[in-house]
Amino acid sequence: MTWKEELLEQIPEDIAREIDIFSTQIELRKQGKVDEKVFAETRLRRGAYGQRYDNGQRHDGIQTRTLQYPSGELTKGPDTLWDAPGMQRIKIPFGGLSPAQMDVLADLAEEYSDAILHVTTRQDIQLHFVHIDDTPDLMRRLAAVGITTREAGGNVVRNVTACPIAGVCRDETFDVTPYARACAHFMLGHPDAQNFGRKVKIAFSGCREHACALVAMHDLGAIGVVQNNNGKTKRGFAVYVGGGLGAVPYQAKLFDSFVPEEELLPIVQAVGRVFSRLGERRNRARARIKFLVEKLGMEEFKRLVMEEREILPADEKWTTYIPEAVAFREQPLKPPQTLDDAYSPPEGFTEWRNTNVYRQRQEGYAVATVTLPLGDITATQLRKLSDIARNYIGSNVRTTVEQNIVLRWVNEADLPGLYAELAELGLGQSGAGTIVDITACPGTDTCKLGIASSRGLAAVLSQRLAARGMELDEAVRGLKIKISGCFNSCGQHHLCDIGFYGNSRTVSGRKVPHFQAMLGGKWQENAGAYGLAIGSVPSRNIPEVVDRIADRYVRDREKGEAFLDFTRRIGKRELRAVIEDLMQVPTYEEDASYYSDWGDPREFTLGDLGTGECAGEAISVAEFGMSDAERLVFEAQLFLEDDKVREADQTAFQAMLEAAKSLVKTEFWDVPDNPDSIVNEFQTRFYDTDIFQKSYGANRFALYLLLRHKDADREFSPEKAHKLIEEAQLFIEATHACHDHLTQERVSKAAAAMDDLPI
Amino acid sequence: MSAITDLQRIGIKLFTEEFSVDQQDFIGVFHRWIQEQSVQDHLLVDVADYSHVRNGPGILLVSHEANINSDETDGRPGLQYLRKQPLSGSFGERLGSVLHTAIVAAQRLEGEPELSGRLRFSRDEFLFIANDRLLAPNTDATFEALNAAVSESLRQHCSVVAIATSRCADDKGLLRIGVRGDGILA
Repeated sequence: MTWKEELLEQIPEDIAREIDIFSTQIELRKQGKVDEKVFAETRLRRGAYGQRYDNGQRHDGIQTRTLQYPSGELTKGPDTLWDAPGMQRIKIPFGGLSPAQMDVLADLAEEYSDAILHVTTRQDIQLHFVHIDDTPDLMRRLAAVGITTREAGGNVVRNVTACPIAGVCRDETFDVTPYARACAHFMLGHPDAQNFGRKVKIAFSGCREHACALVAMHDLGAIGVVQNNNGKTKRGFAVYVGGGLGAVPYQAKLFDSFVPEEELLPIVQAVGRVFSRLGERRNRARARIKFLVEKLGMEEFKRLVMEEREILPADEKWTTYIPEAVAFREQPLKPPQTLDDAYSPPEGFTEWRNTNVYRQRQEGYAVATVTLPLGDITATQLRKLSDIARNYIGSNVRTTVEQNIVLRWVNEADLPGLYAELAELGLGQSGAGTIVDITACPGTDTCKLGIASSRGLAAVLSQRLAARGMELDEAVRGLKIKISGCFNSCGQHHLCDIGFYGNSRTVSGRKVPHFQAMLGGKWQENAGAYGLAIGSVPSRNIPEVVDRIADRYVRDREKGEAFLDFTRRIGKRELRAVIEDLMQVPTYEEDASYYSDWGDPREFTLGDLGTGECAGEAISVAEFGMSDAERLVFEAQLFLEDDKVREADQTAFQAMLEAAKSLVKTEFWDVPDNPDSIVNEFQTRFYDTDIFQKSYGANRFALYLLLRHKDADREFSPEKAHKLIEEAQLFIEATHACHDHLTQERVSKAAAAMDDLPI
Repeated sequence: MSAITDLQRIGIKLFTEEFSVDQQDFIGVFHRWIQEQSVQDHLLVDVADYSHVRNGPGILLVSHEANINSDETDGRPGLQYLRKQPLSGSFGERLGSVLHTAIVAAQRLEGEPELSGRLRFSRDEFLFIANDRLLAPNTDATFEALNAAVSESLRQHCSVVAIATSRCADDKGLLRIGVRGDGILA
């Protein structure tokens, strides 16, 4: 018996066929009959990703070793070995889960993964250390309970997310759930969504004020709004296009303040068509919708979309769901009941209730948040949570973008009992949405792109802050911390009070894990503002950074002053001064702990780098130049903070020039100190030769400099300056990486030359 | 037609008698095991820290062939070995191989400098885990069949005679059989 046979009756025929085809493609790839690039995109479109070390190379703390898998050179994509463990992403549209689905997810985590399920910042669930050979059965078992992994990855419409309290929120215009579901189903496998240059992320929110769906950071976001015409209420959406985080974050721009509900899906389809036709294809780094909107301008983009809309062949799916959507009401399992004041609360209940319980719009019901540490839940916990859901609420479970799970429609009288059962499972942690509830991407734990240990840092911060618990000032308890392992923003570090993203610095030839500290982001108003970096700090010192900034906030804030307003009033210069000394790195001999990352005893280095004497001077000059560039980019921020937009823009450009010059100087000491010469020399020596690309995959960052240089007649705006500052920061990171790479090459060559000496 | 004795995804959990270590202590040990490739016939790949979840997998040593972790499921600390890749031989031989690898790993852990004197495994009991719901669903019938196969294999391949077995109560969980007997792992 196989799972295919076992589940034959339970999987819709077309979906079963899709999975069978995928299974066949696996066999064909094993026989060498499918090109590895084609297979890579095929598996990605089914959510089957590679994972860290899947190129078969891993530094074990002593040296980089080859992992000798039994399948040898067989690959599942370029530089991705067949047997290397991978990650399976599972799409959960709007985060909605039923108990039966939770049971199956738990089973799969046990049988094919490591008994852990990870909730992502886009309401997906990810399983790690999965073998590609197991994925077809895993997909069949999901399909049998109505879950697909199709288009969980690749250049398609990804998981459609929505506010996890949609339908029960006290402030929403209407419940966006059925619209998010309809959009997800409509775009899944849609022919107009199969030819994108990059992925498209869509989010739905029922209000503007809150952050629950983070519409502003999405490629396409829809906020529920109503219009009153002659006493009749009409549902529609304010549609935003062109947002996104990634290396350089963009705020989505208003496409239309009111798209009637019947026009929602055709407009999404038309946006997809325009993006397919005009979006960038060759340069992946500039292929998201945000770049197309920026290039065309919203007016022209909208004109093209509306033109496309006019010629779309009519599709009944655009509207058939609407009567159902309007009538849609979730069914609570139990009748409403308020919590009797005379109840005897279990230990910890009051604190949990204060932070983890949201009073629903519907009298007598509440939403309870199950706080998941680092977004993780064990298979056993999830299975037992499904029983709790069955007993208390039925199918009304959702994942959240803060990596938690919410139980909706809890009869308020049941809250103490529910809490007691959650606590018994180790799921009764209070502090949901507070400073201890830290969001982190997988980082170096499993991600191929991770630079520093975001999860390790999050665990340490969370423990420290939880230990301080009630000692923490009320104002500090409400702050949000988000951490990404690199600049790619999967941990949403731009959207919070205190954000961090991983990078590294080289100190005396050894690499030191660092995090850039970000301030000034805004979680509310659907991700209303993005933070900017104030300085790169060794990973070991980050807990102290949090303590100092929080203490300063408590000490100097004005009555009722929000953290964002406080940072704006105090200014980044002063806040940087608060942490300036923490940016220093002790020598390895003084404190070796700085040279390894949280939760990983291996030395944070690609090898035991020595510094040759002949390269030494040039290197130190280069490092000095890059440090100067970092200072300049920070000054650019200060200008922007003071509304000196032109100065901010020009200083950010100057920072890029300084970083480029420092790199050029390693090869051409006498480079003339003017922009044309620096850019020309940089382009000739590092960009055209692909040296920059080799060291960091960084030619896209080089383009930031080249494009800004060409843009001599630039019009200055706060938005452009903000973006240029982000780009300058990334360009500097890339020059650091390139410099490290070149140094390592020089040292290797020098060592090889020494070996060749006839001793 | 598959028989229960075709089961490949076999798991073993050895329980501790003494556990006064911190889960974090296993991280350094497992990284060193990777450096030294200390588990015979296993390609050791990575370490994952799940100590932040309660009663979870603790610290996981990922290998191509199996997951090995300082397990805390059900609140009982132990060392769990879950086979992922197929082994050759009969059911008894495969069970013997898995049991042998788990016991050697446990003995090695007991001797590691970071854990020495603070970690000791019971020689009198272990948990058999059938990590395959298709072949070994958690039913009475499967329990009967697998219980007989496990008991027989222990007699034949491990010279273990007097054991007592019991089915672990968790209807939705994997089929797990507790095995007890004086010195069965000695």
